[in-house]
Amino acid sequence: MKIGVFVCHCGSNIEATVDTAEVARIALTYPDVAHAEDSMYTCSEPGQDNIVDAIKKYGLDGVVVASCSPRMHEQTFRRTVERAGLNRYMFEMANIREHVSWIGKDREANTNKAAELVRLAVEKLRRDAPLHSRKFDVTKRVLVIGGGVAGIQAALDCADGGIDVVMVERESTIGGKMAKLDKTFPTVDCSSCVLSPKMVDVAQHPKIKLYAYSEVESISGFVGNFTVTIRKKTAYVDWEKCTGCGACTEKCPARHSPDAFNECVGETTAINIPFPQAIPKKAVIDPRFCRKLTTGKCGICAKVCPSGAINYEMKDEIVTEQVGAVVAATGYDLMDWTIMGEYGGGRFPDVITSLQYERMLSANGPTAGHVKRPSDGREPRVVAFIQCVGSRDRSIDRPYCSGFCCMYTAKQAILTRDHMPESRSFVFYMDIRAPGKMYDEFTRRAVEEYGVQYVRGRVSAIQPIQRADGSLGYILRAADTLLGEPVEVEADLVVLAVGIEGAHGAGELAEKLRISYDKYGFFMERHVKLAPVETNTAGVYLAGVCQGAKDIPASVAQGSAAAAKVLSLFSRDKLENDPQIAQVDIKRCVGCGKCIDVCPYGAIKKIDFRGQPKAEVVETVCQGCGVCNATCPQGAIQVSHFTDNQILAEVNALCQF
Amino acid sequence: MSVLSGKELRIVGFLCNWCSYGGADTAGTARATQPTDLRIIRVPCSGRVNPLFVLKALMNGADGVLVSGCHPRDCHYSAGNFYARRRLEILKEFLPIVGIDPARFEYTWVSASEGQRWKEVVTSFTERIHRLGPAPKWADVTPRYDMPFSAPEKRLEPIRPLGCGANPSLPELREAIKKALAEGLEGVLGWKPGFDALHTEPVFMQTPEEVDQLVWGPFNVHNLANFLPQYKGRKIGVVVKGCDSKGVIELLAEKLIEKDDVTIFGMGCNGTVDLNRVLEKMPEGVAIENVNCSGNTIRVTAAGREYTVSMQDAAQDKCRQCTNPNAVLSDVFVGPRVTEPMAPADGRSGALRFLDDLPLEERMGFWKGQMERCISCHACRSACPMCVCRDHCVSDARDPAWLTKEDDVVQKLFFQLIHAQHLAGRCTGCGECQRACPMGIPVFALKQQFGRKIKQIFGYGAGMDVNGVPPLLAYQVEEPNIKEHELS
Repeated sequence: MKIGVFVCHCGSNIEATVDTAEVARIALTYPDVAHAEDSMYTCSEPGQDNIVDAIKKYGLDGVVVASCSPRMHEQTFRRTVERAGLNRYMFEMANIREHVSWIGKDREANTNKAAELVRLAVEKLRRDAPLHSRKFDVTKRVLVIGGGVAGIQAALDCADGGIDVVMVERESTIGGKMAKLDKTFPTVDCSSCVLSPKMVDVAQHPKIKLYAYSEVESISGFVGNFTVTIRKKTAYVDWEKCTGCGACTEKCPARHSPDAFNECVGETTAINIPFPQAIPKKAVIDPRFCRKLTTGKCGICAKVCPSGAINYEMKDEIVTEQVGAVVAATGYDLMDWTIMGEYGGGRFPDVITSLQYERMLSANGPTAGHVKRPSDGREPRVVAFIQCVGSRDRSIDRPYCSGFCCMYTAKQAILTRDHMPESRSFVFYMDIRAPGKMYDEFTRRAVEEYGVQYVRGRVSAIQPIQRADGSLGYILRAADTLLGEPVEVEADLVVLAVGIEGAHGAGELAEKLRISYDKYGFFMERHVKLAPVETNTAGVYLAGVCQGAKDIPASVAQGSAAAAKVLSLFSRDKLENDPQIAQVDIKRCVGCGKCIDVCPYGAIKKIDFRGQPKAEVVETVCQGCGVCNATCPQGAIQVSHFTDNQILAEVNALCQF
Repeated sequence: MSVLSGKELRIVGFLCNWCSYGGADTAGTARATQPTDLRIIRVPCSGRVNPLFVLKALMNGADGVLVSGCHPRDCHYSAGNFYARRRLEILKEFLPIVGIDPARFEYTWVSASEGQRWKEVVTSFTERIHRLGPAPKWADVTPRYDMPFSAPEKRLEPIRPLGCGANPSLPELREAIKKALAEGLEGVLGWKPGFDALHTEPVFMQTPEEVDQLVWGPFNVHNLANFLPQYKGRKIGVVVKGCDSKGVIELLAEKLIEKDDVTIFGMGCNGTVDLNRVLEKMPEGVAIENVNCSGNTIRVTAAGREYTVSMQDAAQDKCRQCTNPNAVLSDVFVGPRVTEPMAPADGRSGALRFLDDLPLEERMGFWKGQMERCISCHACRSACPMCVCRDHCVSDARDPAWLTKEDDVVQKLFFQLIHAQHLAGRCTGCGECQRACPMGIPVFALKQQFGRKIKQIFGYGAGMDVNGVPPLLAYQVEEPNIKEHELS
């Protein structure tokens, strides 16, 4: 084998603390190294051309570049060697910048270390083999999980791009959290007026197939070829027949079901359509409260339904769909704020969440847009808003900022004044985070035009008091950290800006999708900065708050971004796999199946080879993690480019007694 | 390649490509000054790190080894670091038995954004290794050849009464086997008299006459589960002692044999002998004329002289600690069950107890002395029922080439480490590796070290449950008994 070594100065980035010429000179003494030189900027066009020329001139069949991190330029140089006719995998990098020249100034130690790292790269390269990608077909359909605004945007963009979309929504209507909002910041325009047309587009788009009141049961397969099973939950109403007329909800006698859409502000009927603009506008029976299903006596809805859609015998149905990509857009839920005793832990009727308040403000909400205290139905005169309830609070392990609460609190305070011009509002905050377009101006308007009183400090306790007229009041105690004084406010209604977490069940879905998630239920993007929409499973993308706190425009942007990723994936007729994956040496494999047990992707299957059990890697599923490789006692399964012999050669080069 | 003398020590790092390698890049980009000792080997995932890579580095003279991966739950491959966590934790616990200071190995989690944390990890680990100084080299270690733990007065007290008298149920067992053969079993594995009265040998009984040769007693030392995988797919039977049955169960649990194919015949066991402990009473090479066992006394007539050995003296160490004298799983169990001991076994052979009391460096000397006697016959491997690779053992392979063919103690010990590591969580403690060793090297102690650590951390003992999963082939997202390690 003939190896060429190119040691990069990176201007002075490396050369300042590493004697690159000396490294090149030492490299020439390594086995199989036929050519070594130092060069000023190896990644520049002349630098790359120099490599191409050297490959031809010296007949090199492998190249080592000692420069920056392979995470920076491995792809660049792979293309370079490919340009000279070598296989792109006959290339290794020694990271002598991030791992050497930038972390110390001892030139002697650095030069020695750089030379050793080159030695490791040479030893690995000597055991490299040319690798070739496999091509496979793509199913050009996408699954969108979650019908909130991010999922809706992703679905519409994909569908407009000509891709068939399967949308799965857990609730009986799409719309997500945005459908619950009254107005949106910073324009204070009507949320449903903005969202409803998009929801209708989803329903009417010929390319979108909507499964509402359904959940993803399982996912198998790999990028380009996923098989999804979907559980259509029992609605006890045949949606093919239901026209959404609402006759059933008018007559239903079970009128004390918690109203989930209205965040349990008020009650609703056991058979219910969440809100007038629901998509699809279909009724669902809550079996926990339906008299027919709990006691066997009633059946009024079946009698009044003009289309005969009610079916008390209905069961869950499982359907299967084939897709080539998945967009997860499952959004968020509010954390359980009742663990926080200082706000009453849920015991005070007039301490409510911001989403509950939003429903109260909404004209189609349970109070028809009139703000009424849950305790006595009276209009409050003093409304206190407490921010960061379960955000930025290490004491309850919620260190992160929920992102959009500062803004909606300002919006709600403004709306409060609009609804009740005589009222006063207080906002208890830690910092005002308003970095978006027109955002800071908006919060200032709340203070300057609407007279909202902002108090910087956390509320340490809420104490209920019985007033002379028999009504309840609430004393809020806080420290104003700007004035450095304690403050007390007596409020009629307290609205908590409760922190968010990944939607309930997000972890289970992540396991099905084989994507990572953090302990708060947010899905992990592939790269924090450079791949915020991708996940570590090829073909699975993220949109909206399921990936982390963001407001509506950011969610919509990410929905579009995910759609762009799907469209670019589907713009190819064939996909190529990364060939740095596991391979089974069928002669050595004894078919013990340990690799199959440990594979995180289910990418290994047992086959019968001339009567003997053997393992076989499904090349398109394998991601190349190498857990199988570390497990196989025979060493029969090896990750190409990271084989046992390659790693052993590196260890042996470093450790020689 | 040598380290800069006086300045650096040899520290090897295995970093996952996605998190920790990126974290090291981030530290570099931030110009976070670090010690220069560490040499980083990039791997796709911490789950790719075979613990044997770490052992290889440490055995070959690394002064420290660091593995770093993504934080638990953040694995790029979703679960690779969960496997790594279990395997590396057990490895760290294993190291002292061969005399390697566990402080020389560490594993940790650093994300791609944690440049500052990476700097702290490198700095504190490097400082730790410098405090420990250069690792002792195998070439410099003084070998020791003494095996005081094998002296009669050092033998373990049995936790149950052992005996060697004839089992009156043997005819009943033979009848049961004949019946099973008549009903369609192709054959049944058992023991028959060997070349002299002290030895038995395995037999595959297919006729009633062969069944009449079946013997049962303290000389039935072989674990016949060893032969089962080669009969896979054929309907056969096997006669087992309690310990052997655990081998059968583990093979079933790992789906290396099918339950429908194997009929298990069990009988209560009162212990087996370590033949060396009998033979050492008489001149070497003497012809055995007769053996008479009764109660717990073995009377051997050789060259016209009678030698008396008690089971107390002659029993194998594993029998002294045995808590499963009856087959854990059997289809046919003949005769009364032996009372299972109440006393807890501490699971340590004499060698393991001895090693526990030695300072680390002397443990190296111990293994160096022992492995100098190894003749590389691989009888330990052949006798092991859980060595499923058979003709494809990595120690013989060129690809992967874990061992060189040098006749050298480090290579020989590394073979034992491979064997022990492959058996971690799978070894049922039958001790056949050690019994089969013609040089009497206490290699079982290495497997026991893994076994007791796995028991401590995962509460798992191999060979007790056909639905059991060896802990190193599984993981839990939250590991209640694995704590994150301090790096300083």
